[in-house]
Amino acid sequence: MNTEKVDQLFGYVQERCLWQFFSRSWDRQENIDGVLKAATDLLTGKDPARETPMERLFYADAKVMVQDFKARFPWLEEAGAAQVRDVIHGLKDRLAEIAITGSLNHELNHTLY
Amino acid sequence: MPMVLLDCDTDIPEREKHIYLKVEGEDTRSFLPISNAPTIPGTLSERGCSFCGAKLVIGGVLKDTIQMIHGPIGCAYDTWHTKRYPTDNGHFNMKYVWSTDMKESHIVFGGEKRLEKSIHEAFDEMPEIKRMFVYTTCPTALIGDDIKAVAKKVMADRPDVDIFTVECPGFAGVSQSKGHHVLNIGWINEKVGTLEPVITSKYTMNFIGDFNIQGDTQLLNTYWERLGIQVIAHFTGNGTYDDLRGMHRAQLNVVNCARSSGYIANELKKRYGVPRLDIDSWGFNYMAEGIRKICAFFGIEEKGEALIADEYAKWKPKLDWYKERLAGTKMAIWTGGPRLWHWTKSVEDDLGVKVVAMSSKFGHQEDFEKVIARGDAGTYYIDDGNELEFFEIIDLVKPDVIFTGPRVGELVKKLHIPYVNGHGYHNGPYMGFEGFVNLARDMYNAVHNPLLKLAATDIRGDIQTPVREAAE
Repeated sequence: MNTEKVDQLFGYVQERCLWQFFSRSWDRQENIDGVLKAATDLLTGKDPARETPMERLFYADAKVMVQDFKARFPWLEEAGAAQVRDVIHGLKDRLAEIAITGSLNHELNHTLY
Repeated sequence: MPMVLLDCDTDIPEREKHIYLKVEGEDTRSFLPISNAPTIPGTLSERGCSFCGAKLVIGGVLKDTIQMIHGPIGCAYDTWHTKRYPTDNGHFNMKYVWSTDMKESHIVFGGEKRLEKSIHEAFDEMPEIKRMFVYTTCPTALIGDDIKAVAKKVMADRPDVDIFTVECPGFAGVSQSKGHHVLNIGWINEKVGTLEPVITSKYTMNFIGDFNIQGDTQLLNTYWERLGIQVIAHFTGNGTYDDLRGMHRAQLNVVNCARSSGYIANELKKRYGVPRLDIDSWGFNYMAEGIRKICAFFGIEEKGEALIADEYAKWKPKLDWYKERLAGTKMAIWTGGPRLWHWTKSVEDDLGVKVVAMSSKFGHQEDFEKVIARGDAGTYYIDDGNELEFFEIIDLVKPDVIFTGPRVGELVKKLHIPYVNGHGYHNGPYMGFEGFVNLARDMYNAVHNPLLKLAATDIRGDIQTPVREAAE
């Protein structure tokens, strides 16, 4: 059941979110981790950290994404914290796979920008 | 469906790795066109050179800087005034072109003295200008002219001037893209941090990868002013040399063109801890999303919502007028790289237009990851397309309008297919809310222009206009 839900969120992120496609693998991983952590907080009623510039950046990306998630996928409103975490975890794995580990982009691991 | 070998590429089968037709259920883990690779011998590429990527795209945009091209006159002329990036100080950058006008004797005996003389002449002729970019070109790089040493000498002679050198001859890379890279990295290494900007707002950012094409920067800047955000540096639309030296002090880097300018955003993050936020500035939905993200970063969401509401009230009815008339239009995008992924969903969502083919001149695989993720199944994705491929793709997808440059535009006009200038625009700006209405208007006027059909009419009766000869 959660696979379908992960598919829906994954489809949205692929289509809308530029942060998954930054230049290098470590930037992509940092963005996936950061944005999805802030998104999980927002979806489970917590206040995401906004102390550092990077935390504010992740919050900004996550806030817009979560608003769209809620508008497009009504099941999120009824999902409990455990299910949200489970689905976001699945989304994180899928994004890491397509944008990093399974990516055919030859420039991803170049040490220089 | 794997990669596609077009009929016209039978003799250059390597091209198969550069052309992809997306089908449902596939993603970029399975297929990703090769890109940012050398053009295959036998293909008639429409790429520009690496020097052009540095000068025409980025450096030449600055409004207070002499652009000294150390090379033959053609290198200067061919990278001057072909892109419309106005400025708010009378378009200084578009009025003048500077060259050392290297001739055979200078190549034989060396051009450094000529360069030094030219730099002094330019500063003497324009005493109010104190900043300069100097570019090497293919011949002056080959003969080993040391433009950095010359610039250093002139700066010692003239303490009030500052000169930045760009050592990126046309042959330095496979396309314009190398020039973007060299200029980005050179600037962060040599100039960022050498001047402290005056801070006038508690919210500061750099806007990176927008070159004020027909006023894009100036239009977007009205938004930032209304939001109370100080743009420390525009990289490089309507920008100044000294503003770019203060980029390290911004709280946020907002990136539009990640291909030409992602490098400096990455370096600013690495060296100065300034976060990078990528947005799309073309399209209503995207522009609103970008504004929301910027405002969320600064904690000024209410201001952002008010701005978006104002702009929607003003421009959305006009956009919808065009949407009603453009829905179902088939569009091809044959531009540099990023506009493929910036535009494919925005024209679909905001205008009901379907993008059926996209070709990139200098995009990297990162750009193809983005565009294939966003683009439709049934659409062709092409790297470094050549003329015969364009003709064959047109036959396959039958676009109603093609957004491309003037060179390919002239080609498709012969087939009586309307084209809109996807690089320099027809009547921009195209960014922002007002800008996307301009884009819609130009697309509508192109698609519904009766002249193209009339141009195919031949009053000599049964003589058929030979519109296909170029492809045969």
